[in-house]
Amino acid sequence: MTRSAGQGGLSVQPIWHTQLLAAAAGAWLALQISLVFWWATLIERQARRIAELESLQGAGAGGLSAAQQWSRTRLMLVGESSSFLALLLAISLLLAWLYWREHLRARSMQAFFASVTHELRTPLTSMRLQAEAIADGEQRAELALRLLEDSHRLESQIDKTLELARIEGGGPLSEQAIPLQSWVPRTLDSVAQAHGDRVHLHAQIDADVPPVLGDAGALQLILRNLVENSVRHGRVNPVEVQVSASVHGQRAVLGYQDNGQGLAPGSGRLGRLFGRGPQSSGAGVGLYLVRRLMQRMGGRARFDTAPGQGFRTELSFRIAE
Amino acid sequence: MNAAPTATTPVRLLVVEDERNVAETLIERLRSAGYLVTRADSLAAARRVVADGAFELALLDVGLPDGTGFDLARVLRERAPGTAIVFLTAHASAEDRIRGLELGADDYVGKPFHFRELLLRIQNCLKRAQELVQLPGEMRGQFRIGRALVDFERFSATIEGASQALTHKECAVLRLLSERVGKAVSRDEILDRAWSADEFPTSRTVDNFIVRLRKLVEVDAADPRVIRSIRGVGYLLTELNRE
Repeated sequence: MTRSAGQGGLSVQPIWHTQLLAAAAGAWLALQISLVFWWATLIERQARRIAELESLQGAGAGGLSAAQQWSRTRLMLVGESSSFLALLLAISLLLAWLYWREHLRARSMQAFFASVTHELRTPLTSMRLQAEAIADGEQRAELALRLLEDSHRLESQIDKTLELARIEGGGPLSEQAIPLQSWVPRTLDSVAQAHGDRVHLHAQIDADVPPVLGDAGALQLILRNLVENSVRHGRVNPVEVQVSASVHGQRAVLGYQDNGQGLAPGSGRLGRLFGRGPQSSGAGVGLYLVRRLMQRMGGRARFDTAPGQGFRTELSFRIAE
Repeated sequence: MNAAPTATTPVRLLVVEDERNVAETLIERLRSAGYLVTRADSLAAARRVVADGAFELALLDVGLPDGTGFDLARVLRERAPGTAIVFLTAHASAEDRIRGLELGADDYVGKPFHFRELLLRIQNCLKRAQELVQLPGEMRGQFRIGRALVDFERFSATIEGASQALTHKECAVLRLLSERVGKAVSRDEILDRAWSADEFPTSRTVDNFIVRLRKLVEVDAADPRVIRSIRGVGYLLTELNRE
């Protein structure tokens, strides 16, 4: 068995399946090449025969000799055969590419559902443990706090999955002018509640930063995903997050920086669908949604991280007129 | 709440779990049940803990930030063969389950689980591990079984000079066959000794397991002469020599 490993989610593909595919592709290629050679040989024979007959009748076209006529016909045949072969190979390559893209997509979907299942089962396990402890007579505030935290995590995962389906399905965004100076601290306060004392969020937005164009719900999801990412992968406790804003030409840039351990090399897939950092146990959806939602709002997201330097994101928005 | 099996000396458990809320509540509850619990939140931390201390049972999460619980199971099998292993995982697919059991897991618990059920499984695993550790005098030392030199006390088998760790199930089944050398042992007896009822084993489970044991002890596993099948009954060990 060959094994492709996601984090914990292991998909197994039998070797015979791969071998069968390779054999089918080889047979298909051999069939096409044989077909072209058969066609070329057949036509060549017929053309040669015609040239011989014309030569016998002394009826060479345009006063050309039989050898000259045959040479011209042969050139034409080689050209036609090559074009035929090139066309068949191009179609084969296109089919192979379409198959491979679909195969990768199916594998990504499999990995995604495995990750989402894991993401749902983990807070569910925790909630059941807290609930059973309470049912057994334990009455401690930590249990309630953990329950609250897990319920937020569950809600967030469901929201992310729904948002992913909405965005991929071309769902609309509601664009409006968002005043960052008042909106960002308020939203961060609401996001912080889900994480208790594990995260300290600080916003520094100057009054001269103009309102930006965006969807308030999408922007809230973006900030929530970034904070969750910091809490989950920062590996520090508490996580300190600084959010600032500045104006660059016709753009307003919201800067997000945490004090986490940063991610190791090999994090280049961050922001791609189902792309995860090395040793990450996430589903590879959170940062993808950040990037896609920013694109849909006419903006851009840039991620920057290195070991020991935390995680930095720059969100570039259009300024509202 | 049920108490730990041995009231005088608390049973030492290692919990390797990276999810903070799951780990903290689980540990609090296990401590309330009388166990002495140590926690590690990564593979690296678990390796350090295993190097420093001994545990009767390890509860391992499969998905860890810097590796998998399977990696740690290999380390445990080599360094602490007496430690029972229970995997806790949200990925309870058939492939993962088989992989875990092949690596010597004593049990495999899917998330979310009920704490009482987990406690029961821990107790069953500890009981089986205890039976394996407490060897009667006649089973101490090394025994030649086919081409393997088996040491039940060290959970190891030496084959052609190379030593390899035996899983608890391998040890349990080999020991049962050895205790009854020359006599047929039924599949049901083998199941009772090495598997718990909640693992849903079948007679086929035993047959597959015997195939693995034959690879260990037979010169030619396709022509078994050491562990023989007795049609309609079970299996019989033909030779056992104390070394």
